[in-house]
Amino acid sequence: MDNDQRMPMSRRTALRLGLAGLASAGFAAGQGTAFADTLADVKKRGELVVATEMQFPPFDISDNGVYKGVDRELIDAVAKELGVKVSYLDLPWTSVLPGLEAKKFDLVIAPVTITKERMKHYAFSVPIAEATAALMKRAGDKSIAKPEDIAGKTVGGQKGTAQLAQLKEFAAKLGKPVEVKEYVDNNQSYADLAAGRIDASVNSLPNLAYAAAQRPDAFAVVTPPFGQPTYFSWVARLDDKTLMDAVNAAIVKLDGDGTMAKIQKNWFGQSMALPTTVPEPAI
Amino acid sequence: MLVSAHSLGYLAQAAGVTVALSLAGIAFGFVIGTLVCVARVSGGPALARLGGAYVSVFRGVPLLVLLLFIYYFLPIVGLDVPALVAAIGGLSLSSGAYQAEILRGALNGVPRGQTEAATALGYSNLDLWRRILLPQALRISIPPMINEFILLIKASSLVSVVGIAEITRVSMNIASMTYRPLEAYVAGGLFYLAINLTLAGLGGLAERRALAGAR
Amino acid sequence: MSWDVLLHYAPALIRGFGVTIACWASGCALGLVLGFAVALGAEAPSRALRAVLRVYVEVLRGTPFLMQLFILYAGGPSLGLRLSATTAGVLGLGLYSSAYFSEIFRGAFAAVPRGLIEAAMSVGMAPFDILARVRAPIAFVAASPPIVNTLIVMSKETVVLSIITVPELMYEMQTMAAETFTAFDAIFAMAVFYWCLVEVVSRIGRRVEKRAAAFLVSHA
Repeated sequence: MDNDQRMPMSRRTALRLGLAGLASAGFAAGQGTAFADTLADVKKRGELVVATEMQFPPFDISDNGVYKGVDRELIDAVAKELGVKVSYLDLPWTSVLPGLEAKKFDLVIAPVTITKERMKHYAFSVPIAEATAALMKRAGDKSIAKPEDIAGKTVGGQKGTAQLAQLKEFAAKLGKPVEVKEYVDNNQSYADLAAGRIDASVNSLPNLAYAAAQRPDAFAVVTPPFGQPTYFSWVARLDDKTLMDAVNAAIVKLDGDGTMAKIQKNWFGQSMALPTTVPEPAI
Repeated sequence: MLVSAHSLGYLAQAAGVTVALSLAGIAFGFVIGTLVCVARVSGGPALARLGGAYVSVFRGVPLLVLLLFIYYFLPIVGLDVPALVAAIGGLSLSSGAYQAEILRGALNGVPRGQTEAATALGYSNLDLWRRILLPQALRISIPPMINEFILLIKASSLVSVVGIAEITRVSMNIASMTYRPLEAYVAGGLFYLAINLTLAGLGGLAERRALAGAR
Repeated sequence: MSWDVLLHYAPALIRGFGVTIACWASGCALGLVLGFAVALGAEAPSRALRAVLRVYVEVLRGTPFLMQLFILYAGGPSLGLRLSATTAGVLGLGLYSSAYFSEIFRGAFAAVPRGLIEAAMSVGMAPFDILARVRAPIAFVAASPPIVNTLIVMSKETVVLSIITVPELMYEMQTMAAETFTAFDAIFAMAVFYWCLVEVVSRIGRRVEKRAAAFLVSHA
């Protein structure tokens, strides 16, 4: 009897201790290693290890196992500036941030939008591309000619993205309500667009322009883009200031010497001007 | 062309990874499962409790979480595990819990009278397990074991979180590159089907032989 | 751990967990019924029916739920099958799990000692009575641990429903992770939710198992 009563208590205590342990370890992961110098490590190793999810064309593509895209070309050029080699990891988004925390790699080169909430946890690079929100419709859908035509229709986009936030803002100003469907992944939103479950997909203009160019039979971009200009950045651990500074300096230099414009022409069909400082997050 | 020949080669390569990791997971999982099952059934109260706790934890925690924990969380507390070890370790630990439960269920299916009869006939504990309980339990457990192996092969898709490219991951890569997800998933599904049909076929064979032996 | 983030998203996560449980329970209930029917059908004298059921089981068992669900949901409309996300999720889970349940029932039927069935036949029991009073009870005892196993496996498969926008736990968790960029918090929260669910299911399972075994002994 006595034993029976003690067991659950000790178990509960063990659980509490366990949770406290996890909490403090998680805390340490976020802030503990304030004197890390990843840049020095990278230079000593002679290799920069980067990770991304290779399912975000035209930025990240795994073409039958060969990594291609805007991010690939840009990080290669950045690494050349730093005088190191690069190795790339393809990870599902679920494990990209945990992997960064666990120091399995140095830098995330998946294009993400800076937000205030995200800035609390990670360091962001200067913009690597424009991320202005636009819409894509089914090819041949004449009911949508301009962005405002989505009034009264259903639009899908990826959760937590700046483009989705801008869509909601834009939709609120239209006469008729827009039904917004949130997806865990843009590729599912495109699939539902093709299947006719939604009328348009929201994403950044470069992503949509590439998708429509690959499947002109299925998709068409609605011009002009409706959102205010936003940008994609890369992500590093919050305390990796030296590494981020070096990467930023390299990006700015590549922007100046025309390398960036060349990469942009190659993948977007046109070049675009980018700010050379980390922008203030709008959301 | 729905999925190019080039992509099929990429998928076939990924299928090799899926098979190799799954076989390792099944084999180590069987060792763990047998040990845990014996501990639970005839290992005394302390071992039985330990076995019960093992099953509770490793069945209760999703494999995805287990893999993320081994690969990304252990390094933070100072234990860096290579991707391959994390993948096989996660699969084995998880499958071991399921296999232990299947074996235990199968033991329940062996009529109790047989144990009593064997004890009455003076069988030793080891002989009882080796000659009466395990052979029958293994026979009863063939269909659920094949079920579990097939589940494991499919669950092995989760090892992509440690950066290993297997069938599901590669299908998704192809889907995102070609913007033709349906075709990519059907192609990936066919690879799984081929692997699992082979496994089910072998299982059916084993089942028939075991039944023939039992008569 | 960012407790403030978890606290902020707690209502959505708990709501998502409710959706997870609802989809899981209804999908598995459908799967158990279908699976039992398929296991019985596998004993039918018709070779054609047996072959069809074999293909049904092998295809559903042999391919990942993710791919099945995606094909059902995204491919369905081109065949005129336009399902809502939740309907597709429950139906998909029911079909998928039925393949596993049918194999469990089949294996359990095979474990019933032949002598018992022969004895029942020799005392003149009707086939239905033999099924209901001899084969099913004994089979159920052998099947209950793997059924619980499969129920647990299926509970974790429900995370796949998030890709077709069913607002279950994983879907809500992804919202939190995407909006706040919290790395480990979502993973640990998932682990706690699922561990609770699995613990409850296995406890109930053990109780059913004991009852069933006791039932068998008392009626032997």
